[in-house]
Amino acid sequence: MLVILTFILLFHVISAILLFISTINNAWWVASAPGGSVIYTDLWYSCNVTCLPVKNSASTDAVYLQAVQATMILSTILCCVGFFVFILQLFRLKQGERFVFTAIIQLLAGLCVMIGASIYTAEREGFTEESLRKGGYGSSYVLAWISFPMTVVSGLMYLVLRKRK
Amino acid sequence: MLTILALASVILLGIVPQQSEGIVIYTGWERHALVGSDIRLSCSFFSWRWTSDDVTFSWSYRSDGARDAISIFHYTGGAPYVDNKGPFRDRLEFVGNPGRRDGSILLKNLDYGDNGTFTCDAKNPPDIVGRASSVRLLVFEKVPIQAGVITGSIIGAVLGLLLLIVVIYYFMRFLVARRVFNLSVSKHGKKGKGKEGSQQRQ
Repeated sequence: MLVILTFILLFHVISAILLFISTINNAWWVASAPGGSVIYTDLWYSCNVTCLPVKNSASTDAVYLQAVQATMILSTILCCVGFFVFILQLFRLKQGERFVFTAIIQLLAGLCVMIGASIYTAEREGFTEESLRKGGYGSSYVLAWISFPMTVVSGLMYLVLRKRK
Repeated sequence: MLTILALASVILLGIVPQQSEGIVIYTGWERHALVGSDIRLSCSFFSWRWTSDDVTFSWSYRSDGARDAISIFHYTGGAPYVDNKGPFRDRLEFVGNPGRRDGSILLKNLDYGDNGTFTCDAKNPPDIVGRASSVRLLVFEKVPIQAGVITGSIIGAVLGLLLLIVVIYYFMRFLVARRVFNLSVSKHGKKGKGKEGSQQRQ
């Protein structure tokens, strides 16, 4: 029981960490600027040596970028809340019951990550400025997609797990 | 006693000259405005001396693309002198009150070419040592959404909805539990009365 518990907790914590890194680190898109320099950009800043806020992020041109920001933050919040709800349910549930509430929260977090990453993939051309259009996807983008199956699997594990003494 | 007095006077004499130097000028940091509107750029200063009659204010403007600043306003000898040759001729007005240490100017009918840095320098003789202060002007076509309004509203709406769903769920459970409790109490009551009645008849 203790082994299973530690494994599930570790899985949850790792998925939360991945979500945090993916949301905070500004490396969703790596653009090769014409000057030869490499610029890491999205979701919040465009960074080379200095960081400037993403252009137009405060206008209606960047609605999709703001939606991606919102869903990534939501999924991170939900993952953290799910962690505390799991600890709470660990002490409050009766024997043999499943951790349904925690599972629902984790699955919602996974849904939010999926929505965010999908919107980013589909609408990236719309809100990236001209000079940064050429390039490739960065590490934060990959981490976001990795954290999607991790949160879903974590949620399913909570659905299957039963409370034992 | 005398030594303490002497010490105190020396300290005071040491402090006061330092305080009488140094004028501190305050302007905003950044100003946003719409094309075609008017904007008031405020400038005031702090000085240990009384406001003298020879107080001077001067504003200079450096356009975003330019390297040098040009002077656009000067107040001296009790009279304001506004720009009559440069980019702000007929668009600049002095709305300050030098007696109240206010050297604000009003720019009318703004255009995109007015983007730049405005620097205010004030002097209050004999208090003249100080650093000029700058304010950036940004001219927009339409007022931009505050950064993150859409983000914040999406997050708030979803979290609020989730909270509402949880509250409703627990409330329903509470109602159902109460209904079940009431039903079971009434059932027990009926059974008890029925038994008593049949016993009495017998």
